[in-house]
Amino acid sequence: MKSELMRGLLVSDFNIENLSAYLRNDADEPYVQCAVAPYGQVAQTLLDPSLPCWRSELDFLVVWTRPESILQSFWGLLAGSEVDEERIGKEVDDYSQKLLLAKDRASVMFVPTWVVPALHTGHGALDLAPHVGVSRVLMEANLRLLKNLDRASSVIPLNTPKWLELIGEKSFNPRLWYMGKVPFGNELFKAATRDIKAALRGIRGRARKLVVLDLDDTLWGGIVGEVGWQNILLGGHDPLGEALVDFQRELKALTKRGVVLAIASKNEETVALEAIRNHPEMVLRMVDFVGWRINWRDKAENIADLVASLNLGLESTVYIDDSQVERARIRDALPEVLVPEWPADKRLYPHALRSLDCFDKPSLSDEDRRRAQMYMTERRRCELRSQAGSVDEWLRTLDLCLKVEPVQESNLARSTQLLNKTNQMNLSTRRMTEQELLAWASLENHQVWSFHVSDKFGDSGLTGLLSLETAGGRARIVDFVLSCRVMGRKVEEAMLHVAIAWARSEQIREVYAQYSPSARNKPCYDFLQRSGLRCQTDNVFVWDTSQEYPLHHSVRLIHDSHRQPGCCPLPVTPHQP
Amino acid sequence: MKITRQNIVQTLDECIDELNEQLNKEQRLSKTPETPLLGNGGGLDSLGFVNLVALVEEKCQERFGRSLVLAESDAKQGTRNPFDTVGTLAEYIEHVLAGNPGAWH
Repeated sequence: MKSELMRGLLVSDFNIENLSAYLRNDADEPYVQCAVAPYGQVAQTLLDPSLPCWRSELDFLVVWTRPESILQSFWGLLAGSEVDEERIGKEVDDYSQKLLLAKDRASVMFVPTWVVPALHTGHGALDLAPHVGVSRVLMEANLRLLKNLDRASSVIPLNTPKWLELIGEKSFNPRLWYMGKVPFGNELFKAATRDIKAALRGIRGRARKLVVLDLDDTLWGGIVGEVGWQNILLGGHDPLGEALVDFQRELKALTKRGVVLAIASKNEETVALEAIRNHPEMVLRMVDFVGWRINWRDKAENIADLVASLNLGLESTVYIDDSQVERARIRDALPEVLVPEWPADKRLYPHALRSLDCFDKPSLSDEDRRRAQMYMTERRRCELRSQAGSVDEWLRTLDLCLKVEPVQESNLARSTQLLNKTNQMNLSTRRMTEQELLAWASLENHQVWSFHVSDKFGDSGLTGLLSLETAGGRARIVDFVLSCRVMGRKVEEAMLHVAIAWARSEQIREVYAQYSPSARNKPCYDFLQRSGLRCQTDNVFVWDTSQEYPLHHSVRLIHDSHRQPGCCPLPVTPHQP
Repeated sequence: MKITRQNIVQTLDECIDELNEQLNKEQRLSKTPETPLLGNGGGLDSLGFVNLVALVEEKCQERFGRSLVLAESDAKQGTRNPFDTVGTLAEYIEHVLAGNPGAWH
């Protein structure tokens, strides 16, 4: 799929052209192009939406300022005066208001926090004293800024001190400052570029979701097949052993962010699984892995097979292996898989994992936190399917329940995430921010429903989204989105049933869907072809609402009774036994 | 590091590599002595020039342990502009770092 170009605007009180250049030239997707607002006119730019710099449609905005130019009290502090807390608080609030006023002119706004040069000792030992300590006042100003921006989900603060720590002395460049009003060194702008790009990938649903791990000398030290699980290096009073335990802890922490773990290892399966089950220092146990391929086959084949079985894409996958040869093999055979360079020194494993930015996402939903558990239950469903005589019989035993509710604040984060990251069962592949989706949903002739799927094995979460736009007695399905992990269980048909039932209740004579082909959404076209909708032209599928659209007997529908402004309640559909 | 023409050229090449990361493809500098920097046929705009000067000063300080200030006013005391080409810049830096008296010609 051709990568889209994202357009940004940089607003600053210093010369920010170097950041613009690094963002433009960075080889990682998404590709960006930036305009730069007039130098040193931050307030004017934020306050005046009629300025030429706001005329283009913007995907992102970066507003990066120096504390001494925005906060007069801070300027005074650097000049030796004491700070009045109330006064500087007001200055921070005023600036925050300007940011919040401008935030909706782009899909997302990045605000790097304020810093002063690391070598700036302020008042020395008083640096953290109230009212006079430079670092103290700056921490408090930043905290107040963050709290003011918390309520705006489309504003993403960026942790500038983190870049300073990474880069060290070369963070600031006095030569560049006096010659060109560029305060920061190149390495700091590169670090900022990496974080902005990672965030943009996360916003576009491109954060990586799966880590596939080797075992020997990756999750533990040594070859388990040679030495036995009792003698692998893990934990104990050993620096390498401790580092490997910490590495496993970091991997486990990743699963709380919606990343799932799997194994691809050349080993005897029983021997390897025995180590995972029995070694007392293993942090990761069987329950932490959503799948594994432990055999003597080619790893690339194993990984491709594993990823497909999880209904994920290779572009969602990271592969970690201590072996340079295996890493090269995977990079060559599966170029979409991210294979980071991996340190030979096991003491550096935890740090190497923490430094990956490929998992960055701007929001975390309950479903992210439960994703690993959902994969476990999916495995149990598949086992039941293999035992059932027919698909119908299997579906009946699942006791599938579909809860329908309008898209609203409480489910907005997850709904938006689903819209942005789903590729296969996606009718139009629209991508929107949370605010854009909410705004669209609140229009009078628009309806947007979310679908929450559960069955006797557990909760698959909010995995479906359908939106309608009505005009002239017809309703167009604009978005039809379903997570691949619940495809093929009649949820697709149930979603159509809900939309058509609503249209019938509103005396809308026809519901239609226009399929927009993308590189990956052919499964949606295939569904539309077998859905029973009449194929009017190549990509337009129509249902005459004089007929009901049947609900499969295996699906139980529950309608959320909470009525949202602008969203009509759904007609009740009795469950067919 | 010893102050030799070769080491200075190597340092300049590294600066050009780093500068090119900021430039559009068509503006990127080649690492040859004839590559123009400023003036007639020069490829750098004012920010590009400032970035190059900062890089060169920093790397020369690190490599050769000598402070180098490539202020235009000093450089233009002679009859040639050291920022004409990569080659003239290398010559000029060698002249300054070697502590040669008098303007550079």
